[in-house]
Amino acid sequence: MKQKLERIMSCLKDSSGNVKLSLVIMGGGQFRYGAKGKGILFFLLQLSIIFYFITRGFRDIEGFFTLGTKKGDVWLGVAGDNSVIMLLMGIFAWVVLAAYLYFYVMNISDVYRMQKRLEQGRRNPTFKEEVKQLWDKKFYVTVLALPVAGVFVFNVLPIIFMILIAFTNYGGTVVPPELVDWVGFYNFKRLLSLSQFAPTFVKILTWNLLWAVTSTALNYIAGLFLALLFERDCVKGKAFWRTFPVLAYATPAFITLLAFKFMFSYGGPINQLILSGGGTAIGFLDLDAKWTARLIGLLVNCWISTPSIMLLATGILSNRDSSLYEAAKIDGAGKWKQLLKITMPFVLFSTLPVLIVQFVGNFNNFGVFYFLRGGLYLDGYFLASDTDLLINWLYNLSINNNYYCLGAAISLIIFIIISIISLAVYIKSPSYREEDTFR
Amino acid sequence: MRTERNKSRGIFLGRIFDTGNTYIILLAVSFLFFFPCLWLILASFSKSGSIYSFEGFFPEEYSLASFQRLFTDTAMYNYPKWFINTLFVAAGSCILGTFLVILTAYTMSRFEFKARKPMMKTTMVLSMFPSFMGMIVIYILMTQFNLINHLWGLILIYSAGAPMSYLTQKGFFDTIPRAIDEAARIDGATNFQVFTKINLPLSRPIIVYTLLTSFTWPWSDFILPKLLLKEKDLYTVAVGLMSLDETEFARFAAGSVFIAVPIVLLYFFLVKNMVKGMAAGAVKG
Repeated sequence: MKQKLERIMSCLKDSSGNVKLSLVIMGGGQFRYGAKGKGILFFLLQLSIIFYFITRGFRDIEGFFTLGTKKGDVWLGVAGDNSVIMLLMGIFAWVVLAAYLYFYVMNISDVYRMQKRLEQGRRNPTFKEEVKQLWDKKFYVTVLALPVAGVFVFNVLPIIFMILIAFTNYGGTVVPPELVDWVGFYNFKRLLSLSQFAPTFVKILTWNLLWAVTSTALNYIAGLFLALLFERDCVKGKAFWRTFPVLAYATPAFITLLAFKFMFSYGGPINQLILSGGGTAIGFLDLDAKWTARLIGLLVNCWISTPSIMLLATGILSNRDSSLYEAAKIDGAGKWKQLLKITMPFVLFSTLPVLIVQFVGNFNNFGVFYFLRGGLYLDGYFLASDTDLLINWLYNLSINNNYYCLGAAISLIIFIIISIISLAVYIKSPSYREEDTFR
Repeated sequence: MRTERNKSRGIFLGRIFDTGNTYIILLAVSFLFFFPCLWLILASFSKSGSIYSFEGFFPEEYSLASFQRLFTDTAMYNYPKWFINTLFVAAGSCILGTFLVILTAYTMSRFEFKARKPMMKTTMVLSMFPSFMGMIVIYILMTQFNLINHLWGLILIYSAGAPMSYLTQKGFFDTIPRAIDEAARIDGATNFQVFTKINLPLSRPIIVYTLLTSFTWPWSDFILPKLLLKEKDLYTVAVGLMSLDETEFARFAAGSVFIAVPIVLLYFFLVKNMVKGMAAGAVKG
């Protein structure tokens, strides 16, 4: 850090007057060096940003901190402050400020480079040549501009917005035209200690962890089992047998889930069979069906995700080194031993990243219980049921009941859990460390 | 001598027994996977619509009436409109999304620049936030600005988020040898030409894979359309089918079969590509 600062200082010392001009007026130095087009562009950029800040930028940044001071009143016809829009505009103003700083630094380093080139007696590229570079040496800038902009607007900004929301009291009765305020860590405190939310949170979190571990393990073992089964020498017509899991894989998940809901519903076929056999109908997914509903969820999820793991494992198994097995056979290793000592380590090694993805996917598996038991609110739970995962609770709270700030706080908690688990595994995984060996 | 023969017979019998067991398991597995599909397909051909009129799993009488009603009786449930909406959204985000993903993955694989590693790390961190988080914000903002009930909004959101999952594609581009690029560069080709003239033709499998995955995702997603489309005529098939209850079971089955068949066929044609793509992406991360 200190070295960097010293370098900047020394650069400033031997900079020419033109560079100093660029420090004040962006593009000024470039203009005097003869790069007229670029100079004008930089200058226009500076003008427009300053114009933006004078007309509304400063007010937006102020609004970011106050989140509105004047409450609207429909009866008196007073148009009050809309806190949500103020927050959004505030974020936007910060982004513009950051962009301005970025371009400012770019402007200075550009003009400094021009000065150095002239001092060494070289010619500076013309504006046209620099634009041409965008298709060649700097092709990546051209190409990445659009995707980065898209991801920024539709992924990064919403995430920033939601993180900020977690520290406000937005939601419940506090929605515009009411004024929203910053409340610090109050939402997290509410979730972890208040008797209204804390028991629900703890119960759902325990179940969520249990669910993620069991369902990932179940799907993984089942998928591997299927792949090994289809690989057996005595199986004729492998493609034919594989058709059925692929059928399950290709069917859109919402269809499968809805179909299973119908299958286990009160008037569904299973209950009809029970009734005609002389029994009484069972509410598999009803209010009091805690463990049957959970079990059905596990099995249904297994039905949906096993085939994809099977396909993946099949692809990986086909890269196996068969000489290892011959050697093991000669050494007298049985089938089980071969499976445990050769196949499993190999497959585990290759599928570790997938296993993390699966775990994260299952931890945030919204669909299964949304379809099977969506919209149930049980006693002892705050706007949730005993099969709901954190992500379902998040949905119930923020979409169905407008508790946005609590939803945001839960999202952050989910993020923290997921990132700790996956970073721990990911950094240790060989495929992360050896990223560059394949290039 | 005798014991020897007995032993070999034992092994022989054991192998038959083993094979028999394998086939029993195979049959059971196939049944497990096939039965729910068969149930839906048969239900879609049932004469009466309600699930209550079924005898156990299967309908009492068969006819094509459900399919006919699906497309003609559109007053309450406008399935043809839903289907067209879904097709529009899926096709739009498929083309835009594939374009963006391929470009991103190619650049990440081929270029060395200062922001490369930070960008890769950022996408990794971003992908750990629940995807729901962004959707809720988009929902809040779209309602604030009165932008819900627009199909193009869905296309925009799907395709803008697509570059986040560039890793599989990057893994593919990593396997194309760079020697060809360098040869072309020496011959004076620009990077743009290297991409369009050399690498793009070589990457047909991954483009097919990307097209397929970015088509099926919007085709079968239900969360985003459920949030952003509140008008019945703008529903996608997923949201529409969710609004059907048990008395409309045959209609649900028919609608599901009709939307699942094209996707299932596509998968069967491309399953080899899928396995290769998935395996390549998995090993290389």
